[in-house]
Amino acid sequence: MLYRQRTLNTPHGCIKTPVLFPVRNIGKRSSDNTPAYADAIPDLRTAMVNARAIRQRDPQWNRLLNGATLREEMDIPEETVIFADSGGFDFQAGDVDTTPARTLETQRQIGADILGTVDRPISRENRDRENQRRISDSAEYAVEASDEHDGEELLFASIHGLDPETVQNNVRYLERNGDFDGYALGSLVPVRTDYKKVTSIILAARRATDKHLHVYGLGGLVYQPLLLYLGVDSFDSSAFIRSAGNRNYLVPGFGGQELKHVTELSYLPCSCPVCRDTPFTELREDRNALTKHNLWALTMELRRFRYMVAANEDVEAYLDLRFQGNEVTKRAYRQAKQQVRRLT
Amino acid sequence: MTNDTFSITDEQRDYSQFGLEENPFPYSPVPDNDPALYCGQEHATRAISDTVSTMLSTGKSKHLVVTAKYGNGKSHTLKYTRSLVRDREDVVVGYVAQPGEGFRDIYHEFVYDLGFDRIQTLAYEYLAQVARNTTDCNPTDASTVEQLIDDGEVLLSELVPEAVQQLNNVTKFADFARAIVHMVYEDTNLYAWQWLTAEGIRYEQRKEMEIHSALDDDTTSVRAFTALKNLLLDLGYTGVFVFVDEFESIARLSAKAEQATLNSIRHLMDQNSHGLCMLFGCAPEVWQDVMSEYHAFSERIGQEVALRPLTDDHINKLVSTYIAPARTNGTGGVDPFTEESLSIIHQRSQGNIRQVLSVCSRVLDAAVDEERSRIDADFIQEEI
Ligand SMILES: [Zn+2]
Repeated sequence: MLYRQRTLNTPHGCIKTPVLFPVRNIGKRSSDNTPAYADAIPDLRTAMVNARAIRQRDPQWNRLLNGATLREEMDIPEETVIFADSGGFDFQAGDVDTTPARTLETQRQIGADILGTVDRPISRENRDRENQRRISDSAEYAVEASDEHDGEELLFASIHGLDPETVQNNVRYLERNGDFDGYALGSLVPVRTDYKKVTSIILAARRATDKHLHVYGLGGLVYQPLLLYLGVDSFDSSAFIRSAGNRNYLVPGFGGQELKHVTELSYLPCSCPVCRDTPFTELREDRNALTKHNLWALTMELRRFRYMVAANEDVEAYLDLRFQGNEVTKRAYRQAKQQVRRLT
Repeated sequence: MTNDTFSITDEQRDYSQFGLEENPFPYSPVPDNDPALYCGQEHATRAISDTVSTMLSTGKSKHLVVTAKYGNGKSHTLKYTRSLVRDREDVVVGYVAQPGEGFRDIYHEFVYDLGFDRIQTLAYEYLAQVARNTTDCNPTDASTVEQLIDDGEVLLSELVPEAVQQLNNVTKFADFARAIVHMVYEDTNLYAWQWLTAEGIRYEQRKEMEIHSALDDDTTSVRAFTALKNLLLDLGYTGVFVFVDEFESIARLSAKAEQATLNSIRHLMDQNSHGLCMLFGCAPEVWQDVMSEYHAFSERIGQEVALRPLTDDHINKLVSTYIAPARTNGTGGVDPFTEESLSIIHQRSQGNIRQVLSVCSRVLDAAVDEERSRIDADFIQEEI
């Protein structure tokens, strides 16, 4: 097992890793559609935002330029640690409309603690040549960002690749040519069902650096335990919002359950502050409440893993149990276990 | 019957009475993979040397057929020649034990004989060449560029598209170019290898490498072979040696398949006027048929050399060459064999090298068991 615990020092405080950065939808639409959770979940003083989206929303961006802070705008405590990615996912199809310097400036204006470098995600659908160019571009953007960056914030280089060699090569290239506090691995969401590929890529990155390793977009219920097992230090997820939008209720160990198929129940089987006192019929209609519960579900999953480690339990045995229910993820975990054992 | 029990022992026979460390003759006289000695026939060695040297010195393709009856040393000759060129750093050498069902099989055996590691090394050599031309790095060989990639001194994503492009220009075979480059990726190198050896892979696996065609027939195999040779010449190699043994087995094919095979080889030769040297081992009667029926093919093979049955002189030389390394007593020649005994072996074996070696081996052991001090004509007469 490559699970590890560290402390990440940021301008807005220390956080214990491994840690989840919930994706705040702020700026994506006209209003922040993420319910406040920072006060409600004490060990979740973290948020992931999209720097590009915030900058593109004029009213809010003007308020930020005039002295407002993003934390005020989001109504979250001052000590919340914010990870601002470049919004590279928006460049999936279109052109890059920013520069490393400009993105850095935006991220600092937001008051972000962790800055993800500008990147151009890749996909299996692209021609190989196009993907190779994007991988190289992302690496060069990261090097430029490193040259520009001289602040207190942590700079994470965004890296891409759909095979272990490329990812490892990228990390080592950036180690040589830039100065980064960590690495953030992207482009895995489109291939997330190819577990073997995803875990081998993550392991290649983990093997290539001892620095902080973030994985973009895979912090949902199923992947979270795998990422922890593979030694990933942080991850982000918007699964709790998306699921709630579809009236999906996340149940650790089972994944998402569509509530419309559930009937004749007084209360849902969760003791989180949301579910504890809210009748099922009420919860089912309340998207905000579902979102909060889902975030609790992700948090409980992380807490449980941490507990197993702290209690000196056999984590592999715990995960054997955890992945028992589903053939696909069970196989994914078994493959990951083999890959890890070959490594250690 | 005097004794019906086996006597099996791990005790070695003692050959010291003959001043020998061991029985120097092979028990099973099939040619060594790397024959250390060649007791050749001068006209054959001259012809082979000439063919090989022409290609090495001028770069121009030249081919040769070695004909001999079964057991007269074709395989041995080919393998010995291979051992002479194999260690050269400027050529690539592949051995095909027999032509199989057609050119696809010859190509398959050839690439298979080179091996996965060699092909992977060629892929890295190509990346090294690209790195030398397009970056500040100056990797001299495959392992240096592999190290540069591992260390992150160069971006793999910058080398790869360039390598595919250049290889495409050199080989005129885009799928081949991609397969070669995919030899460096852990995720895909087995698929790439399967494609390159013409074993065939599933469509999804091809798609992952952006390979559009299947390499699964004679025509594409000729194309792939030429692509491989062109890749080698681009890397600075002088050329490729292909040894095709037991060529006579094409006579087992249907007339159509035989013609197709010969045609494919002819196309290969026509497409590769430089950097290719093919040496065939073939039974004389089959070669006669090929000569008379397939002019287009036989015309392209410059030379034929026939291995003849061994003479008394040859046999004496052969036996003394085999015995020499095992000698402990400083004597020389064919001792403990007498000249007369070898003469009888010659008659009985009709000069067939395989039979000569086999008889020598057997008789030497019998002489030890019977505590003889010499192997003379009488003893041979009794034993064979
Ligand atoms: Zn709950």
